[in-house]
Amino acid sequence: MWLWNKIKQLAISFRAGVVTLRYPFEPRTAPEGFRGQPVWDHTKCIGCAGCASHCPARTIFLRDICQEVRILLYDSSRCTYCGRCADLCPEKAITMSDRFELATDNRQDITQSIELFMMTCQRCGRCYDLEIKNYIDRLSSLGYRYDCLEARKVIRRSTTEFSQEELEKTVAYERPGRLEK
Amino acid sequence: MSRGEELVRWLEKELGGNLISAETVFPGRLFIDLKREALSAAAAALMNRGARYQVGVGYDARKSGQGFGLVHTFAFDKDSLLVALRTFAPEDDPEFDSLTPLIPGAGWSEREYQDLLGLKFKNHPNPRRLVLSDDWPEGIYPLRREVPHDLMPPAAEEVAFRLEEAPPGTSIVPFGPFHASLHEPAHFSVYVDGEDIKGCEYRGFMTHRGIEKLAQTELTYNDVPFVAERICGICGSVHSVNYAQAVEAAAGLRVPRRAEFIRTVALELERLHSHLLWLGVAGHLIGFDTVFMQAWRIREKIMWLAERLTGNRKTYGMVIIGGVRRDINRDRSEDIRAVLREVEREMLALEKAILKDRTIHKRTRGVGHLSREEAVKWNLIGPVARARGVDIDARRDHPYAAYDEVQFEVPLADSGDVWGTLVVRVKEVYQAIKIINQCLDKLEKLPKNEPLSVDLEGPIPASRQGLSLVEAPRGEAVHYVLTGEENRPERWRVRAPTYPNLQAVPSMLLNNKLADFPIIVGSIDPCISCTDRVLVVERRSGKARLLSRQELENLSRGKRSGR
Repeated sequence: MWLWNKIKQLAISFRAGVVTLRYPFEPRTAPEGFRGQPVWDHTKCIGCAGCASHCPARTIFLRDICQEVRILLYDSSRCTYCGRCADLCPEKAITMSDRFELATDNRQDITQSIELFMMTCQRCGRCYDLEIKNYIDRLSSLGYRYDCLEARKVIRRSTTEFSQEELEKTVAYERPGRLEK
Repeated sequence: MSRGEELVRWLEKELGGNLISAETVFPGRLFIDLKREALSAAAAALMNRGARYQVGVGYDARKSGQGFGLVHTFAFDKDSLLVALRTFAPEDDPEFDSLTPLIPGAGWSEREYQDLLGLKFKNHPNPRRLVLSDDWPEGIYPLRREVPHDLMPPAAEEVAFRLEEAPPGTSIVPFGPFHASLHEPAHFSVYVDGEDIKGCEYRGFMTHRGIEKLAQTELTYNDVPFVAERICGICGSVHSVNYAQAVEAAAGLRVPRRAEFIRTVALELERLHSHLLWLGVAGHLIGFDTVFMQAWRIREKIMWLAERLTGNRKTYGMVIIGGVRRDINRDRSEDIRAVLREVEREMLALEKAILKDRTIHKRTRGVGHLSREEAVKWNLIGPVARARGVDIDARRDHPYAAYDEVQFEVPLADSGDVWGTLVVRVKEVYQAIKIINQCLDKLEKLPKNEPLSVDLEGPIPASRQGLSLVEAPRGEAVHYVLTGEENRPERWRVRAPTYPNLQAVPSMLLNNKLADFPIIVGSIDPCISCTDRVLVVERRSGKARLLSRQELENLSRGKRSGR
């Protein structure tokens, strides 16, 4: 009985053979749909800060350095690769790439930053990307929830003061969509 | 008349004016508010009626002028009913009756709030520090509202945890915090007489990470699932699903059926790989490394499957409040079926090859024995309880997600030892495969265009209670959520399955051989980081400092020469 069990175990082990992969000497590709390092497409980004206000690890930052330039900074060192930013981006400017070999001794290697040139709204004086249709509508259509006042504040924070009045004005404002070709 | 109504009527009669209110906001959950004096009477009454104690939750309710709140939750497994007893104590006199003399399993919950909230418990048999580190200064209670989540107070000096003296005739063998047979930090001070274990003392909670406090002060509702998932290194989905269910119950959200099936698949995949992992670890602990290698080889297929399904091996990131994020379409379900067929075939072969092996029998039979009565007394849960003939399983007793629609058996063993836990876990692997296959069948029949998540129609109302159970691979995990303002929970309590199971380890160890210590502790599949989850990142100096290799060597040399 004892020997028979050992023979069975031997058979299992032999049938399995060597399963150790020759990684890293042979590259390993990530499967489709893998959540690797997020990558920002600067041509699509409209600077809405939806990603920043929904990042569970708080690793995406947006700052307005002057009236017309907004900086987006993504610091990968604390990222948990949950992909929440890519889900919520109204312009699909963020993709979860298949890159996962991110170990580095220089933090700059895994930091991304984008300078966004914003326009100034002639009505409220704060910056908007007016080239594209109202992004707040787009955020709403993608399930962005206005249940957090704090987050709303972040979204349009281009002045130092947050004014409820301005906010209501902006929400009520409807602008014409872009002409379709 | 349902069991809940009957219970309320009976409590009204028993407690009279001490019962303030009783409400059922969600089927199968009964929330009762009591006056403080009636707490231990009500708990005793519930226990006499066959309740099982789950967990205590303390919270700071001073903002609403109610002082400190304390919730004890109980489960009636036969009636699918969970009962939460809530009492309040004023700020200047935060003292409650201790339930520990009556229910030994309540000991840790009460000690936890003594540390974290400064509550006091009358007649607690062992009111020593449990959660906070020894050098945490007296008088700072981290869960109180005024304490910031990132507070780093100067360490108290010349303090140490006072371990108890060894009983006469025995000597102490210390295990841990770092020990080859423990996979996570915990300290066991084992009293031995020769080779026989005569008792043991546990000092744990060395990996506090401030998760509950973080959720209550910094995160928002939808951030928490991703953080909750990182409580455990194995059963992450258990915690995110559990948290989401608690919030959904509190907010009255109905999750789409499709999302519930997908959650069930994710949970069962986790059970599969967790049990295979445990089998490997158990083999390794008893020196049978063939099991370790082969079980983990089989497990790896499931990890790769999870990676294809969810985008990551372990942290699935599938759950948000109101649903899930990714669908399982037909191609993917074919993929799952193929992997499961292979796992089942390999698992059967492995089971046949090892379960009759003398090595396993000699190392596990009669080891860590605990009677059924003891198991009930300590409120054991999961495979550890089922190996002692206690027939509980939250999936069947308190159905959540899609478990009400799938058929499965709850394997039991009555040997009451490590062998029993092994048999139960191996059988559960096949049950998990069965459940996933059923879920996939039903998913294909559901309408394709059903949304994966529902949207909130407004802010989640404040001060509602939500209580949720999920049967993790190790036993039931309990999450309690009290909704708050500012889009985040006012209180979120996580009770991992190891929390009650670990309290019974000293009883399991009694009169066993010292050499069996690793496998007995291993038999509950201890998940120390889940158990320790709570509160405040503690760093001695407040500044991170790297030791050079030379410094490290000097330090360890100094230790060795007995400096």
